Amino acid sequence: MNKQLSRRGFIKGGLAGTVAATVLKDTNADAGHHFEAYPNAMGVIVDLTRCVGCRSCEAACNKEQELPAQPEPFDDFNVFDQRLHGQRRRTDETRYTVVNRYEVPGQDHPLFRKQQCNHCNEPACLTSCFVNAYTKTPEGAVIYNSKVCVGCRTCMIACPFYVPTFKYSSAFKPKIMKCVFCYDTRLKEGKPPACVEACPQEALTFGKRDDMLDVGHQRIRMNPGKYVEHIYGEHEAGGTSWMYLSPVPFDKVGLDTDVPQEPILNYVTGFLAIVPMVLTIWPALFTGFHLLATRKDRIEELENDDKQEA
Amino acid sequence: MQTGKRITQTAWTLGFLGLGITLLAPANVPAMSGEDAPEVIEIDSLSKLYGPVTFDHGAHVAMATCADCHHHTTGTGTADPSCARCHDGKEEAESVSCSDCHAAEPFNDEGLKRMENHELFHMDKPGLKGAYHLNCITCHQEIGGATGCQDCHTMTEAGEKRFNTGKHAPEGYTPGAAHQDSGKH
Amino acid sequence: MKKFSTSNPAIPIVDLVKPDGSSWTLKEKLWLGLTPQQYKEQFFRNWINWMMVGIFAIGIPIIIQRYIFGLEAVTHASNDYPWGLFLGFGLFGMVPLSASGFMLGTTVEIFGRKDFLPIERLALLNGLLGYFFAVLFLEVDLGMPWRLPYPMFISLGPAAVLFLVAWHVATYLSVQIAELVPAFCEWYGWLKGKRWIKSIVLGLTVSGIILSTLHQGALGALFNYAPAKIHPLWISAEFQWIHFFCSSIFAGLSMVIVSSTLVIWTMQWRVDDRFRDSLDRITLGLGKGCSYAMITYLVIKIIAIAHDQEWAYLLTGWGQYYLLELGVAVVLPMFMFAIGVKNHWVGIVRIAALISAVGIIWNRLNTSMIAYNWKLYPEIPHWKEVWICITLYSLYFLTYRFILYRLPIVYEWKGEK
Repeated sequence: MNKQLSRRGFIKGGLAGTVAATVLKDTNADAGHHFEAYPNAMGVIVDLTRCVGCRSCEAACNKEQELPAQPEPFDDFNVFDQRLHGQRRRTDETRYTVVNRYEVPGQDHPLFRKQQCNHCNEPACLTSCFVNAYTKTPEGAVIYNSKVCVGCRTCMIACPFYVPTFKYSSAFKPKIMKCVFCYDTRLKEGKPPACVEACPQEALTFGKRDDMLDVGHQRIRMNPGKYVEHIYGEHEAGGTSWMYLSPVPFDKVGLDTDVPQEPILNYVTGFLAIVPMVLTIWPALFTGFHLLATRKDRIEELENDDKQEA
Repeated sequence: MQTGKRITQTAWTLGFLGLGITLLAPANVPAMSGEDAPEVIEIDSLSKLYGPVTFDHGAHVAMATCADCHHHTTGTGTADPSCARCHDGKEEAESVSCSDCHAAEPFNDEGLKRMENHELFHMDKPGLKGAYHLNCITCHQEIGGATGCQDCHTMTEAGEKRFNTGKHAPEGYTPGAAHQDSGKH
Repeated sequence: MKKFSTSNPAIPIVDLVKPDGSSWTLKEKLWLGLTPQQYKEQFFRNWINWMMVGIFAIGIPIIIQRYIFGLEAVTHASNDYPWGLFLGFGLFGMVPLSASGFMLGTTVEIFGRKDFLPIERLALLNGLLGYFFAVLFLEVDLGMPWRLPYPMFISLGPAAVLFLVAWHVATYLSVQIAELVPAFCEWYGWLKGKRWIKSIVLGLTVSGIILSTLHQGALGALFNYAPAKIHPLWISAEFQWIHFFCSSIFAGLSMVIVSSTLVIWTMQWRVDDRFRDSLDRITLGLGKGCSYAMITYLVIKIIAIAHDQEWAYLLTGWGQYYLLELGVAVVLPMFMFAIGVKNHWVGIVRIAALISAVGIIWNRLNTSMIAYNWKLYPEIPHWKEVWICITLYSLYFLTYRFILYRLPIVYEWKGEK
């Protein structure tokens, strides 16, 4: 926890410094610092071998988060055939989680995958937000404060999982809508999110993230051949609170396997590191150039002065 | 809420009373058999969104071995090599009731504590609801049995409300007409 | 205008006092020394103004619609494509084209190249307006435009690249306003202000370089947030900010060439001999700068491909599109600049500048919209989104022209300085 804070704090401090045009003395203090998540962060492991696509999680989420009614009942399974722009259903301002069906060749029955916010250890939405609207709570949830949001939607660009959605339909009260791990209503009190509680198959297993990793690895180890030997989310985007176990390669069930194995933040630190450099070196450099470039004029001026004095 | 759960839990345990009675027999009595159990068991521990399930134990005894569902607890041997490592399955366990091992609330404080205990082999034990469904549906999928939610239990009024179906279906909804291309623009 | 300036020797206004010794009033200066009747006459004789009226007639209701019914009513912005033309064109396109201010500020004030002095103010104005309108585009796009000052004062997220952009664009806007204060002071007749700015011009210019380097680069670094969403050819973790910064150099210079060309073609009455006589020489000088910046850009683009091991992508359809962009928007104008400069062909340099200015917008749209979500599906902007862009760009054009008509930008003030 301290490590994490110190790393984020370092970058914040660094940039806040640049705004005040102060010199950052120790630019490399935390470079190479290995990031560790909140030790007691909770997590969920989604086991795709268990999910049967009953949509109970969708129904539970809809009621728990008081989201608007959906056009179809939650026991209508034709929704799995819906396509928009050739894409399966996705989360939006009216639903924080959806389940999709994937027919994977070689599997005797279709696979289903639930999607929701993965609650990254070092969330891209949080680190890309210029008004600090996001918070990663020690319980593991990534929550959002609509009171300070400007609506720039950089978080939607930055999220490698396409999670934050925007209430485009509102002109006066738009905001980002996304799964919050039932933080306010459940997680804070140590209870599992509504979707987990609703899952009949226990395809969603809830516990401390560290323990969930153990559970995941144990399932892989105990059931040779049943799972792909990787937990999606253990390292993706620097590690996420929600993780996936799958019997087939993850890209077959719509998970992006190009998501980097490190926090998205790492992709901008290179640029952020040059900021203090530019701020300190440029003034001296260009003032120097100016003096060099105009030295002839200056010499002439001096000579003129001498002549006048003489 | 809490007491309600406790009541259903108790009711459920009572439902398995028949099984419980057999446990009063001395522990060294070898394997029990399917006939020892009641023919029909009412499973109502989760009857909130769905009504209770009438489980025809007798019919299932004819199709499966005890160990298929009860792991090693019935003393009839165990097929699962993972169980066999510690439990030879020759001895009856103290309880064969699902709810005695599988917690109704697997993710409460106690459940989370248990998962922290890394020395515990059973750290990844499903809760009661998970245990039922995983057991039933996995097998039903294999043998082509019923897998739909309402094949086994009817939805209650609360369930219809939760799933926006039946009386609580969205206005103007016609079943089977989920748009191919819905959503924005 | 030509008609009136031949009949009335007092116009165009270049001095605080009329030939008869009395002072121009502010109102007269705003009316360009014409009577309202004359002003109306010249305004409606111009077909461009009629076109503007048409654009606004449709554009303004659409903008109102956007503010009443939300972005959904006028754009195809979605959860998969959060950013559309307003940012792709208005922010990511306008800002590099506005790099002219700091480029010529540096050339003239830092390197002491007084030979570029006649075009310095045009470059500064081009920069200021480009930034100002980029902010306007942002105000149309933001979900909660009334919260624009939040990142500055209310809730700070200083670890974000956008935080840097916000602060730097805001401070740079003030720097650019300050740099143009002298022109306004001369025209308005408030010389104290001008003298004070003169004393800090070096400081202003240097801060201009710092802020420009950082936020031009920062706009590129913003895309580093989406390493897995943008086609690898358009994103390079290590080089993205350098690509954006380096391309803004020739983008800014090209834009000054384009805008000075329009001035010399359509505003002969407004320019003075100094501007008129030096423009060809200056255009060639700027063209030379462009060709150098472009070769540098081309080299680092290729280095990025080599560094990220992306050669195989060049053989795909995306790769061919990428090569088309590089070929048409960079290599072609680069050779045109080089040939034009070598043979003193001003015309070809001007055409090259137009290609490279449009090419930069193309590149920014490619990065922010076309290569973005390349694994999903392409999104075509709503026609209203396009129309709002055209409307705002027309407003930019009108403001630009309004100032050029009046302030001493492309002519030297004859009065007290």
